[in-house]
Amino acid sequence: MTRSVAAEFLVVRKRSSTWILLGIWTLLALIFAYVVPYVTYLNGSSREPLGDLLPRHLVGNLMGGFPFFGGVFALQLGVLAFGSEYGWGTLKTLLTQRPGRLRIFGAKLLALAATLVPFVLVVFALGALASYAIAVREGMEVAWPSAWLVLRGLGAGWLILAVWAAFGVLLAVLSRGTSLAVGIGILYSLVIEGLLSALASQVSVIDRLVEFFLRANAYSLVTGLGVSADDVASNGPGSFSGPFVGGAQAVLVLASYLAVLLVASGWLLRRRDVV
Amino acid sequence: MRRARTVACMGDLVIETHDLSKRYSDRIVAVDRLLMRVRRGEVYGFLGPNGAGKTTTLRMLLGLVRPTSGTALVLGVAPGSPEGLARIGALIETPTFYPFLSGRDNLRVLARHAGVSETRIEPALAEVELTGRAGDRFRTYSLGMKQRLGIAAALLKDPELLILDEPTNGMDPAGMAEMRAFIRDLGRETRTVLLSSHLMSEVEQICDRVGVISKGTLVGEGTVDELRGRESLWLRAEPLEEAERVVRALRGIEQSRGSTVASVSKLIPSQPLRSTVPSSKPGSR
Repeated sequence: MTRSVAAEFLVVRKRSSTWILLGIWTLLALIFAYVVPYVTYLNGSSREPLGDLLPRHLVGNLMGGFPFFGGVFALQLGVLAFGSEYGWGTLKTLLTQRPGRLRIFGAKLLALAATLVPFVLVVFALGALASYAIAVREGMEVAWPSAWLVLRGLGAGWLILAVWAAFGVLLAVLSRGTSLAVGIGILYSLVIEGLLSALASQVSVIDRLVEFFLRANAYSLVTGLGVSADDVASNGPGSFSGPFVGGAQAVLVLASYLAVLLVASGWLLRRRDVV
Repeated sequence: MRRARTVACMGDLVIETHDLSKRYSDRIVAVDRLLMRVRRGEVYGFLGPNGAGKTTTLRMLLGLVRPTSGTALVLGVAPGSPEGLARIGALIETPTFYPFLSGRDNLRVLARHAGVSETRIEPALAEVELTGRAGDRFRTYSLGMKQRLGIAAALLKDPELLILDEPTNGMDPAGMAEMRAFIRDLGRETRTVLLSSHLMSEVEQICDRVGVISKGTLVGEGTVDELRGRESLWLRAEPLEEAERVVRALRGIEQSRGSTVASVSKLIPSQPLRSTVPSSKPGSR
């Protein structure tokens, strides 16, 4: 198993799309978390945002981007990890090597899970650098959040990305490719979850349903880490106005999503013909 | 051209299928109750026109496709089991590798998955004369180079059984000749080779025994010498109905002369269009 994981790491490491997605996600996260708010602040329209840009609010300021924008990037990573194998026909090459299907599936998942770590760490590291630079430039006190809060933030960020990536894996295995899987994934996140979430406050039945959406649980998780509900409500295409659930429930629902999506993907991969 | 070989043990079967079938729907039967036996140490040619069910059969033998019914044993174990795959090298249809990785890195990935030492990579590359381009990305390879990398990948495990699905497909004549010579050399060793092809000339050059598949059914099997030595009349006619008409007429002639001619052996509707009629006249080919 270790050597299979090493093989998958080699593939992920040498694949340019991994680094392109990481670069774009990091850039967007920094632009929307620090650059745009700071420019707004400098233009004098409001003195309010500066507090959020300081190191003390690092976790709360960064986590708002994970439930939707980060999720879409993770979805693509998940789709590419498995869908491309069908597109290139490399799945049949892998499956005629020694390991069984589930072992190859497991190795690919472990490599994917590890790939998500820099997607969280790099954003946090550069976010910390940006907040430090802003604090120094503005002559403000440099006070960092507690290590526990940072750890919880890193863990929550990884969990949210992992669930979206698992969703991408299932879509890729279902559609045996990348294009349809990416299309359906984005359609689901924008249209199904987005529109129904927007209607939730008006229709009580939908309100109950939305509580089980990825978006609802992911945002519920990050609001417990310092992200303000107002910021979430004005988050563009990723906006969410509730209902929010408790942090423990959010973790449980997200972990359940992760398990169900991966078990379904593994079952499909094991059962279906590779043609 | 074809070498004389001795099959190590006639009773020692490397591949054995019993009524192996694959149906995709009521109308589409890819493989129909296939009975196939490949002996240890032989080069077995699996001959048939495109769409006859060759690739589906090979996929079933490798565990990529589940049979609808019937059984198969490959190297004594169920198709697709890790114990079996560890001893099989395979090239199914077009070689497929990661386009962004070099040939060498692609083999590294496969060696790690297969659990074989990476020290086998360079000898495998050398064997297919790809060392000079091994550092280049797979996407830059010509078709012939891709096929050779596919063979190198199949050889990584130093397999007891090689399953090669139309390995000369798409190659130019020189490349085909080179590949056939290479496969012949592989078969001279102790390993068993199962080679599928739609070219009679190819299996004649390479194989010890040949199984002929048409419409998912094994319609004939024998050594190349047997198939070659069988007296037969080859007809080529288009459309198919014309061939059938000629064959019916021939059968009538033979019956009227009290000949022992049995029957029309096969009508193969795809290209090349042929009908074979066992003839009572030696050399009437």
